[in-house]
Amino acid sequence: MKHSLRSFDPLSRRAFAEQVARTALGVSILPHFAQGAEPAVIDQAKLPGFGKAKRVIWLQMEGGMSHIDTLDPKLGDTKGPKDPIKTKAGYMLGGFLPKLAAEQADKLTLIRSMTSKTGVHASGQYLMRTAYEQRGTIKHPTLGAWAHHLLGASHQTLPSSVCINRNPGHGNGFFPASHSPLPVGNPEAGLQFAKFRTSEDIIDKRMALLNKVDSEFRAKFHDTNLKSYGDFYDNTLQLLKGEELKAFQISSEPGDLREKYGKSDLGQGCLLARRLIENDVRFVEVASGGWDMHTDLEDRMGEKGNALDTALAALIGDLGSRGLLDSTLIVLCSEFGRTPEVTGDGGRNHYPKVFSTLLAGAGVKRGFTYGSSDAEGAHVADKQTTIQDFHSTIGHIMGMNPNEVVMSPSNRPFTIGDKGAVISDILA
Amino acid sequence: MKKPSLALFLFGLLSSVLPAQQTASPNTTLWHDAKGRELMATFRGIKDDNIFLQTKDGNVHRIPLALLTPDDQQKARSLKVEGLGIPMDPGVAQAAAAIDKIVLARLQKAGLQPNALASDEQFVRRVYLDLTGRIPTREETITFLTDSSASKRAKLIDQLVNSQGFSSRMFNYFADMLRLTDDANKIKYFNYQEWLKQQIAENKPWNQVVHEMLSAKGTMFENGASGYLLRDKGMKLDNLSLTLTTFLGANVACAQCHDHPFADWTQKQFYEMAAFMGETETESRNRGNARKLLADLDRKTAQQAKNILRVNTASITETGTNEMKLPKDYKYKDGKPGDEVKPTLVSWSKDDLRTKAYRDAAAELKAPKGKEVPDREVFAKWLTSADNPRFSMTLANRLWKVVFGVAVREPISDLDDPSAASNPELLHHIAGEMKRLNFDIRAFMRLLCNTETYQREAVTQEINLGEPYYFPGPILRRMSAEQAWDSCVTLAIGDKVDGFKLKRAETYTQIMDLDLANAGPGEVKARLENALAQRGEMKKNGAPGKTGKAGKKQRRMMEEEEETGDVDFTRPAVMSGLVLARASELPQPEKGEHFLRMFGQSDRQIADSNSEEGSIPQVMMLMNGDAQEVLQNPKSKVLATSTEEKTPEAQVQSLYISFLSRNPKPAELAEATAALAGGLTPADLTWVLFNSREFMFVQ
Repeated sequence: MKHSLRSFDPLSRRAFAEQVARTALGVSILPHFAQGAEPAVIDQAKLPGFGKAKRVIWLQMEGGMSHIDTLDPKLGDTKGPKDPIKTKAGYMLGGFLPKLAAEQADKLTLIRSMTSKTGVHASGQYLMRTAYEQRGTIKHPTLGAWAHHLLGASHQTLPSSVCINRNPGHGNGFFPASHSPLPVGNPEAGLQFAKFRTSEDIIDKRMALLNKVDSEFRAKFHDTNLKSYGDFYDNTLQLLKGEELKAFQISSEPGDLREKYGKSDLGQGCLLARRLIENDVRFVEVASGGWDMHTDLEDRMGEKGNALDTALAALIGDLGSRGLLDSTLIVLCSEFGRTPEVTGDGGRNHYPKVFSTLLAGAGVKRGFTYGSSDAEGAHVADKQTTIQDFHSTIGHIMGMNPNEVVMSPSNRPFTIGDKGAVISDILA
Repeated sequence: MKKPSLALFLFGLLSSVLPAQQTASPNTTLWHDAKGRELMATFRGIKDDNIFLQTKDGNVHRIPLALLTPDDQQKARSLKVEGLGIPMDPGVAQAAAAIDKIVLARLQKAGLQPNALASDEQFVRRVYLDLTGRIPTREETITFLTDSSASKRAKLIDQLVNSQGFSSRMFNYFADMLRLTDDANKIKYFNYQEWLKQQIAENKPWNQVVHEMLSAKGTMFENGASGYLLRDKGMKLDNLSLTLTTFLGANVACAQCHDHPFADWTQKQFYEMAAFMGETETESRNRGNARKLLADLDRKTAQQAKNILRVNTASITETGTNEMKLPKDYKYKDGKPGDEVKPTLVSWSKDDLRTKAYRDAAAELKAPKGKEVPDREVFAKWLTSADNPRFSMTLANRLWKVVFGVAVREPISDLDDPSAASNPELLHHIAGEMKRLNFDIRAFMRLLCNTETYQREAVTQEINLGEPYYFPGPILRRMSAEQAWDSCVTLAIGDKVDGFKLKRAETYTQIMDLDLANAGPGEVKARLENALAQRGEMKKNGAPGKTGKAGKKQRRMMEEEEETGDVDFTRPAVMSGLVLARASELPQPEKGEHFLRMFGQSDRQIADSNSEEGSIPQVMMLMNGDAQEVLQNPKSKVLATSTEEKTPEAQVQSLYISFLSRNPKPAELAEATAALAGGLTPADLTWVLFNSREFMFVQ
């Protein structure tokens, strides 16, 4: 988004003071840099799980998914409207997730001790996608863009990242626009307008004329956004002239499979994600809004919970049967959880203090829970995990070193996961 | 207008003290009268044998030409009017000059020069996009370019700020800022939207508009302004945090859950502000009765009736008891979880407390029994008070960004420290102007567009993050989604596009409004029957429904009507499945696959989140999309006008003026006519120009 690119506010004094403090108190805040050994010497590759995920499907529930009604059910006063389900893997899942509980519980790793300080949607989503706090002075990349930078493009013409059900904001960060995810607004429609309305010969003639008459304007302005359009036109032409775009057509999938994923934006998005990773798109995010349940949680969980349950169970099953689960990591997350107490209107409010995430597939244990919240689901009880730790761990599983410092064009140092710690307990 | 005699007094007085002008132009020179007196001033034009000269202080003086020396009279007649010309209103010109002065002083301090004045071609395109949200039509461009009047720029600005297009433009801006949606919480917000449109059309002072939004009571049927609080029904704290950010630039969002990590806001302060909403309930009115009604209806009817009951329970009421308490997880020493919180206003400095805004609020909070002012009303008055230290500044800073592309203080959501602005004096000055103009948005935009700063060329160099920007001119901007779509529709059907206004509130009210307190099951059933009948009627009439893409049958019907020319403004034209109406008259927001969304229209979940980024699907749409098909339709205005021309040169010229508001340069004309001879058609040229960066970006 341009307005953030154009934001000129420097770090406030307090932020600056805090940064100074961080540097001075490095021991507690910069664990990797402060452990005595040189960062690069910690042999990342020797930890389990390193590089196992060749692809990632990242499911981001927008609005704040209630942890108590999904991944971290409770039995006491804060129990949700549905009874938890006991799974064969030994842990409980929320009553809104029966398929996941019955079919796939033995393939999941749950992290039930996530915590953050951001209880606002916009900055919470930004943080969950980038591991960095939103700032006026820089844009941070998603893991898909990091991978594009550190591991290279995953395909010659297709993009390395795709995002479904959302626009690409928070994408490439300070990396070039070519690293930003290709957005698919509606998974059922796939990529619209992927066919020329005229012959390629005419298109070539139009392009030739366009590049001539528009050249003076393009040369006049030194503007990143303007320049990035040039790249988008080049990439688009290349794609339109090739065959790869078939990867975006879920209409070629059998009808019963499409049913199995569920006819929701999330379900069809997951199916499209599977097609895309099969075609070497490395990082696919499927977003799904509607989780901001301040009122009528029971009704709305009925709808959203079912969509998630159906989609995720189908996706894990489908990847398993294709032999892709060992090389694909599925991530389920949300910007924060929801309050343990239920409001008078039958809803729950924003709650970043403790919430849950889910991992399944490549590089992680199966049928495993990590960390916990207290009996009410109100505080972290064990093994506090930050969003930075979460990112560092996923980056590690993707084969990237969270200690590797990359300088932004403005010459500031950044790392995957903003100096979080890899959670080695969940690696496999 | 200043009297000539007064102006003459200036002769001889100022010439020696005036510093050299920033930009050397033959129009800024020393003028002499017949008595040998001198005046350093800029030529602004000649009208009715009077010469208009602007002195450095911003005043524009009207002087009978005959008073000048014969040489100077001749010189005046030979000069071409540059840039601003004769102002329509000397007050505006002077106020604009005051802004320019502050900008120039800051540029000078930084050792920078302002950009040259923009050409008429650049100006006409930019000012139409900024003030009406669309490009000018070919005819509008030609009218302006051929207008020989010396006050044509000021005249055009006046015309545009008073146009219908201006209302659409501002609605689009506020729709993004306020996260306007047709649907949220399973109810429709048509009445709120139309209420807001009405306020913009009537040009109600913005502080009054916001005051109404913050203090509204009842359902949206009773008062459209209720939609502001009801948009976040059941999310009072989030709504408050957005209110403070959007209207005051108070960066408090973090303080909702904990002390702000960087700014000075504490969680306690946040809750003290929230306490102003502690007596306010944003739902539940008559919920008991609604539940009872549902129980009395059979299952199927009850299911259908849910929507009606839901929207009627969505209502703002005052409970009379303040229920705001510190949250259960409160962890600071200045309070305990569950403590009651007293409404207390935040302030940015001790001086704030001495302003009328704070003094009035303090008095009202202490009002004796019987004379109590509801807490929310105290808050609404304080927030929108002309003396609130942030309200006018936030709005001025936002609107500055609308026309300059970047705000004086970025980001617009954080004005806690105005001294960190690129030009603090400018920020304070425009805030004062907003107050002086009584929060009249049209007058403020008119003022900004009359500045030289606005009428300069756009900067060509890259603007880097973290670098202050001193406004040598506006910046280069990609069109917003709404500007691009509305321009495209203008190309297809011309300026009549501004005429169509979507009206949904009346029908919706007829169908849904129910006196919940007294309604029985019979009435609910009658409502439902009425609703079904109305829905049938609406479908038949082809009103734009849920989606921007008209249904197949409806589309065919509407396109047939188009053929017979039987079109009135009760419904918009449809081509290639696209409803050809301004973005403000389409679903809010449009569906994900619509041009608007693919070009960056916000999904209205997060405030101010329109995007200006490109993407591959967006470029596919620009190359192969329905909008492109519309422009290539021989009936589209842009193509029809061009193909009426006899020669290829004239056809190219027509297209250039339509798309880019300028004539083609000789080389461009040669390239384009050669392409026409080499197998391309004028329809292909519409593709070329539509896909050009020059079309998509505003300089």
